[in-house]
Amino acid sequence: MLLLLLLFCFRKLSDKISNTCKDRDMHHEAISADQPFAFNCTNPPLTYGEVNVVWYDAASKAPISKDNQSRIHQEHTWILILPLKLEDSGIYLCVIKNANNCVRIWMNLTVFEKHWCDNSRRSLPNLSDDYQQILRTGPSDSLTCHLYFPETCVLGPIMWYKDCKEITETRFVPVEMKLVVYDVSAEDSGSYACAAELTHAGRAYRVLNSINVTGRVGNERRIPKIIYPKNNSIEVQLGSTLIVDCNITDSKDNTNLRCWRVNSTLVDTYYSESKRIREGIETNVSFPEHIFYTVNITFLEVKMEDYGLPFMCHAGVSTAYFMLTLPAPDFRAYLIGGLIALAVVVTSVLCIYNYFKIDIVLWYRSAFSSTKAMEDGKLYDAYVLYPKPQKESQRHDVDTLVLKLLPEVLERQCRYKLFIFGRDEFPGQAVAHVIDENIKLCRRLILIIVPESPSFGLLKNMSEEQIAVYNALIQLGMKVILIELEKIEDYTTMPESIQYMRQKHGAIQWTGDLTESSQCAKTKFWKRVRYHMPPKRFPPSSSPAAEARTLQFPSRQMETKMGLISC
Amino acid sequence: MTFSSALASEVPSRRYVQDLNHRAWVLQDQTLMIVPRKERMVPITVTLMPCRHLETLEKDRGKPMYLGLLEPNCCLFCKKDGEQPVLQLEERSIIDLHAFREPVKPFLFYHSETGRTSTFESVAFPGWFIAVCSKGDCPLFMTQELGKTYITDFELIRQN
Repeated sequence: MLLLLLLFCFRKLSDKISNTCKDRDMHHEAISADQPFAFNCTNPPLTYGEVNVVWYDAASKAPISKDNQSRIHQEHTWILILPLKLEDSGIYLCVIKNANNCVRIWMNLTVFEKHWCDNSRRSLPNLSDDYQQILRTGPSDSLTCHLYFPETCVLGPIMWYKDCKEITETRFVPVEMKLVVYDVSAEDSGSYACAAELTHAGRAYRVLNSINVTGRVGNERRIPKIIYPKNNSIEVQLGSTLIVDCNITDSKDNTNLRCWRVNSTLVDTYYSESKRIREGIETNVSFPEHIFYTVNITFLEVKMEDYGLPFMCHAGVSTAYFMLTLPAPDFRAYLIGGLIALAVVVTSVLCIYNYFKIDIVLWYRSAFSSTKAMEDGKLYDAYVLYPKPQKESQRHDVDTLVLKLLPEVLERQCRYKLFIFGRDEFPGQAVAHVIDENIKLCRRLILIIVPESPSFGLLKNMSEEQIAVYNALIQLGMKVILIELEKIEDYTTMPESIQYMRQKHGAIQWTGDLTESSQCAKTKFWKRVRYHMPPKRFPPSSSPAAEARTLQFPSRQMETKMGLISC
Repeated sequence: MTFSSALASEVPSRRYVQDLNHRAWVLQDQTLMIVPRKERMVPITVTLMPCRHLETLEKDRGKPMYLGLLEPNCCLFCKKDGEQPVLQLEERSIIDLHAFREPVKPFLFYHSETGRTSTFESVAFPGWFIAVCSKGDCPLFMTQELGKTYITDFELIRQN
């Protein structure tokens, strides 16, 4: 309050000096007593030119003496107090004038008692004129002794102290106003002082600056390191959302810009209209030695144009990019798919083969039929064995099939040679002998069975026949073609041998009309029978003899050819 | 370890600025000055934000940077006053400048780092640097004279 009142009085006083002067803010100076004090009144650029500067003591309202012998006096633009006394505390005013301008600079000087390195006498805690300086750990740094006096003051050599003791260590080298410190470590922080003898107008004074020195880790200017991306590529599906982080470590002192660019343009600018790709929020984690930054880039939807384009993360001078690529084909999926497809194909082929097996085999036989006669010592292709049912209708059916249809289709159309018991044996021969002898000359055994023939005449009653058949089957390993004339409901009524044959070779059930006089070898039933029959070898038909026969018997040959084609 | 979830791209770096003679930037009478740093004195907090739009700016001069003051909220800029550029302060938010779609050249300075010191060259007036006198107290100004009478190398001190 008192200060404000005082200031008000000074303003009044100064108003008398000039009514057009501009006031500058108050300078506050707190200096310890008993040492020289100098303050330069400047107001650049005004004081660069020709100006009139006058210092006033605001308390006495009088200009400061310009006599250099006076303890407080003005020299040029300076106010000099040699030395300071406690009573010098107060407000001083400097008026700078030239032809057009006037500026007033106020100084509030506080002089206090300080007892350097005297722990028994404490200074006022809230007053200090100590300088604050930093020593960075490293090969070298320096402290500065701020002794700023007019040219009339001659300064002697500067003495440097640490913790009240003169510094003698060779690591410390005073150079002009500085103290160069080599191999700076954290222990070099502390209380320093620089002192010099100041001579003015024949009198010597001692000026001392206290300096509080704090240590700091030398700011190693490191180049920011981009940990990710690493100029890599990222596989991503078209249309998906993607977020990629840029991870950076940088020095704590850095002022680097971190951003994402595409084609040297900020992504936010590049996609300013669609906003499809945006730079994310930057976050950082501070570590003792460095800062870890993360700044991401977000693709709301990956488009085709994004693939192969380098998205650059910038951190100061460092850059790193990533590129998007379409996902590589999944070989495992392809392999599995391929195997499944193969399995389907194989299954289909097998099904088709099973379904058309008979047609394929028959076609194959007709297409690649060997002209070479089979040399297995057999005379007949099949031995036909059939029952003589007691029922008249059944007997008739059996006879029709055996004596009419089989010879018609297999012998005439397909040119097989059959041995039909009851047709081809010589009269008077013993049944067992006929069977035994002729069955050996056959490649297949065609067995006709009819249901409900409890007296299965063929095998049930004729033990010789039975033995012969068994011999044929077991010793010769003949293949049996079992033909059911009608559907057999219950096989258990059949002899065991029949059951066994049915189980082993299956049975072909007659389908068709026995009354039909013309049978076609291409019906399903006959195809099945032919399938089980041995492959037919045809003699070469294009021999000159055959051709001659063709000329001689054209109609017969045509018929034979028809038959050849159908089988 | 401290975690900051702040929008670093929108929060300027805060630094004290000093020269190698332990003089710090302070604000006196709306003027940026450099004065010997004392214990009882708080240097001005300078805010720095790198310009994101580098397309129209020179590449090798340094990082284009906006320079501001934390309190009062104003920014440093260069303008021509007669023959030569002068350094001035304008009440303006550094974040607004940073948010511009284009570089605001009068407010931009190429920040070039050598060793522990930095120089600040005007983007609007290339060749002109922020400078101070070599001793005592003095205001900041612009100079083209490097390594001679004036000091153009400054140290950015991170605030703890």
